[in-house]
Amino acid sequence: MTGALALSVGVVLAPERAWANVLLAGYALTGLGLAGTFFVALTYASDATWATAFRRVPESMTRVLPAAAVVLGLLFVLHPSLYPWTLEDAAEVGGFKHLWLTTPFFLVRALLYFGVWISFAAALVRNSRRQDEDGDAAWTRRNIRLSAIFLVLFALTCFLASVDWVMSLTPHWYSTMFGVYNFAGLFQSGLATMILIVIWLRRAGPLRGVVHDDHLHDLGKLLFAFSTFWMYIWFSQYMLIWYANIPEETVYFIPRMQGAWQPLMIVNLVLNWAVPLLALMARPMKRHAGMLTKVALAVLVGRWLDLYLMILPTVSPAAPPIGPSEIGAALLTAGLFLRVFTGAFQQAAPVPVKDPFLSESLHYHS
Amino acid sequence: MSRRIFVGVFEHEADVIEAAGASREHGFEFVDAYTPYAVHGLDRAMGLERSWLPWACLGLGAAGLGFATWLQFWTMTVAWPINVGGRPWNSLPAFVPVMFELTVLCAGVGVVITFVIARRLGPGRTPEIPNIRVTDDRFVLVLDAGASDPRVVRRVFEHCHAVTIEERDVEDRR
Repeated sequence: MTGALALSVGVVLAPERAWANVLLAGYALTGLGLAGTFFVALTYASDATWATAFRRVPESMTRVLPAAAVVLGLLFVLHPSLYPWTLEDAAEVGGFKHLWLTTPFFLVRALLYFGVWISFAAALVRNSRRQDEDGDAAWTRRNIRLSAIFLVLFALTCFLASVDWVMSLTPHWYSTMFGVYNFAGLFQSGLATMILIVIWLRRAGPLRGVVHDDHLHDLGKLLFAFSTFWMYIWFSQYMLIWYANIPEETVYFIPRMQGAWQPLMIVNLVLNWAVPLLALMARPMKRHAGMLTKVALAVLVGRWLDLYLMILPTVSPAAPPIGPSEIGAALLTAGLFLRVFTGAFQQAAPVPVKDPFLSESLHYHS
Repeated sequence: MSRRIFVGVFEHEADVIEAAGASREHGFEFVDAYTPYAVHGLDRAMGLERSWLPWACLGLGAAGLGFATWLQFWTMTVAWPINVGGRPWNSLPAFVPVMFELTVLCAGVGVVITFVIARRLGPGRTPEIPNIRVTDDRFVLVLDAGASDPRVVRRVFEHCHAVTIEERDVEDRR
């Protein structure tokens, strides 16, 4: 609530910046919801049984997708001019882009992405919850099939959504790494969120005795791996642009590496890569709830900074802004996520009680 | 030198884990465990210490990183500087891919070679297999008989549903 209020103040004070922050909040929420869906689909499709014990956590995370759609929908309908191509002469953007970047087509695509994501997430969660009642293995088989289809669609839609919603803020710039880069950050921050929630629920009760250090160990491994993946992709994008040194490509990095933006760029790499790499390299650290909590928090702050660095320089190239809009957007995201998550988590049993793989997951040794 | 060993053959994964745990409680000395696939939790039941291989991996990775950094820095700025698009000789971003790849290559391949040497595996070596069926569907636990009472070992193994239990003399190649 406070977040929404602060954002509304921001809309009055500095509308352009406030709307950029609305995009940041909506996109971050989308990322968390998608990461939950992707994780559930990935574990189903790969027959990974270790995660069954805490699958209700990513399942409940998927429920933020409709909320994210509302936040982004507000932006797309009320203030589409955040995207420069809505104002520019169509011919100036040129080529295929002026067919792709038109307001009606843009809105239809956004509806399509969210339609695909929400319907698949809802179906996966519904089947999993129905299994709680009858314990029929057919629900698992059905979810495996759904997951396989979702993973393919997810790869396409996640890539296109990042191009549509973030890359087109600078319509003349393009990077073919951008979709993968966004996916890396999305899954990394989703893992960090899952780690925080799992540790919290283990301490608070619902998952006590269900989630062991072995489960944390594997989540820690994934966070470690995807932090390095994120860095790998970040650098791949950076190096190609640095090497080619073509003005129409370097236009993305130049404002972000000048003035007060530059230290933020370095902090971004430290939080998202250096911290997890060094802190989680040793095995005991991946099994240590306290250490994992700290690293996951660092990664979440890093994710926010990463998105901030993608979005905000387009409206404030001179210096990184901080004010009611920025704080409001962060509060709105955290508040909305926690409210939706706790609501969704309480709707069903905290553990998929009749999943055929539950017992295997409970006795898991990493 | 030869030494006396107990070879216990088990039919089920759970039995070999139980036998390993019981053997540890009785203070028997393990020679090794042989299983057709990696049995999760067996290392814990045997009370094995953490392997030192991760440290070897870290060291090899650091060596690879150092070598790649030095190699590129030396060739590109000292030995044979080339002007690439007007960039400084010492252009770190261009070096990073090779630094990354050599780190991974040295750590990955190096740790496998280290393992093979440390365990004295490799070509020309005849494997010591206590019971040929560990390559199929049996699980085998081998104990050093030196310090333990044969009757106690038999009782413990039988209690854990061992299929066969034998005492054997083998050449000690440690």
